[in-house]
Amino acid sequence: MNSFWNGKRRYIALLLFLAGVFVALEVPPVIPFIQLPGENLPEGYNIPFTDMRITNTLVAAVIVWLLLLLFLVYIARRRPSDGGEVPPGGFYNMFEALFEGLMGFIGGIAGGPHFRLIFNMFMTIFLIVLLSNWMSLVPGIDTVGFIHPHTKEKFDPATQEYKVITTDGFEIYQGFLGISYVNGQCNWISPADEAAADESALVAAAAAKAAAEQDALVAAAYARYQAAHDGHGDDATEGGSGADDHATETATETDEATAAYDDVLAARTAEKQARRDRSCYTGVAAAPWQDGYEPYDKSKAKDIPMHPDPSSDEAKRVPWVVLPWVRVASTDLNMTLTIALIAVVMVQVVGVKALGIGYFTKFFNFSTLFKSPLGGIDVAVGLLELIGDFAKVLSFSFRLLGAMFAGAILLFVMSFLVPILPWPFFILEFFVGAIQALVFALLTAIFMQLATISHHHDDEHDHAEAH
Amino acid sequence: MDPQATIVLGKAIGAGLAMIGAAGGGIGIGLSVGGAVQAMGRNPDHTPTIQTNMILGVAFAEAVAIYALVVSLIILFVLN
Repeated sequence: MNSFWNGKRRYIALLLFLAGVFVALEVPPVIPFIQLPGENLPEGYNIPFTDMRITNTLVAAVIVWLLLLLFLVYIARRRPSDGGEVPPGGFYNMFEALFEGLMGFIGGIAGGPHFRLIFNMFMTIFLIVLLSNWMSLVPGIDTVGFIHPHTKEKFDPATQEYKVITTDGFEIYQGFLGISYVNGQCNWISPADEAAADESALVAAAAAKAAAEQDALVAAAYARYQAAHDGHGDDATEGGSGADDHATETATETDEATAAYDDVLAARTAEKQARRDRSCYTGVAAAPWQDGYEPYDKSKAKDIPMHPDPSSDEAKRVPWVVLPWVRVASTDLNMTLTIALIAVVMVQVVGVKALGIGYFTKFFNFSTLFKSPLGGIDVAVGLLELIGDFAKVLSFSFRLLGAMFAGAILLFVMSFLVPILPWPFFILEFFVGAIQALVFALLTAIFMQLATISHHHDDEHDHAEAH
Repeated sequence: MDPQATIVLGKAIGAGLAMIGAAGGGIGIGLSVGGAVQAMGRNPDHTPTIQTNMILGVAFAEAVAIYALVVSLIILFVLN
């Protein structure tokens, strides 16, 4: 295997480079769509048995958990049970080196009776955050997904209510497996508007039918009236012929009414078909394996102007954006805030484990209030520590979110700015992801180590020595 | 003035002002890397230790700039 690949990997790199050139030349650019909260997957992708929608960052988080579970099972199976020294293989050795190195590193910082607990938390957080961060480097993540019109809710001051509007920008269409292209030909109709149009077509058809029936009834009545006034014959013949007339006229008026009804519905069907013929979608475009998927026909697309006149028809076109199936989990505040909360709560747990209930005198230190002239300062310092622990949650979560979200935007922008050579920025993101994961986990370990130390007792000890 | 244009103007100015905070991070990174390079020059044997601590310090200093970045990102992409 190895000898086969020797010296041949460069051709893979060359092939990828040529593919990059081809895509940069062939595929028109789209404006990347940037949204801070995780995007909801479309209607129908709920968490089972609930109404809660799945976000694409949740998908990434689940993938990270599954990967970690796989690693855990793999390492547990490959570990030599007899403590043998024989290295069981490259991938396993990588983990062994990682654990050994970090164990030494953390041992230097937080070695002590609580080392195992601190190291477990450190390594868990490190691996989760590291895998989440490095997912931004995987091709297809953040770029391949559903195609949907870009709408947002906007407050309308005139009517005092929120309404869904479409935003300015480019339109893109669905290509092979969700890869997007610019397409400038459709006015978007939302699924609700489409249903309303169907509804009103039915109403219009019923109205046309009723009008046709009314017309026919009036005509029939007029004909009977004419017949009654024209013919001055005897009652028997008049009655008989009138009934015959009435029967034939009922038949024709039903035909006319049905024809009017069908005409209106046929016009509506033709309108819908015309939209489909231009590759225009309603709502969310179907994926290739779903019903209603229609492959894109490039010959039907038109160029779109860079700066359309706002009053023109072009400006009404809707930007179609990619809603990625998977978006990096650490670009969502929910993920980072959760890990930060777990970390800070575990810091308190380690503190209580090490110092007992006396750990909380760190926050509420009233013991010196009446003994020492500076007792009030101790109380204030304790309260500051309490606020500081809440600030830790904020700083943990926003540091990771900011670094990874900015990195995701950087990769977006650079992929469009230098479509052929965005590699240096991927290398940068590789290091940023690793360093942010290490910083997150290391800070947790350091705070845990600090929580196990009782400053209170040290002070009294120092006092005793001084006296 | 068009209210929409006013909103865009305010968002752009606010996001730009928020990024002034990144200057502090830059100064901090410069100071810590400068100190680390001096230390590495004086005793090259301790380069790995110094480098590790330098990268950690740089990451902490960078965090301040990242907070500013988060504020400006929120102004740009979350505020309506």
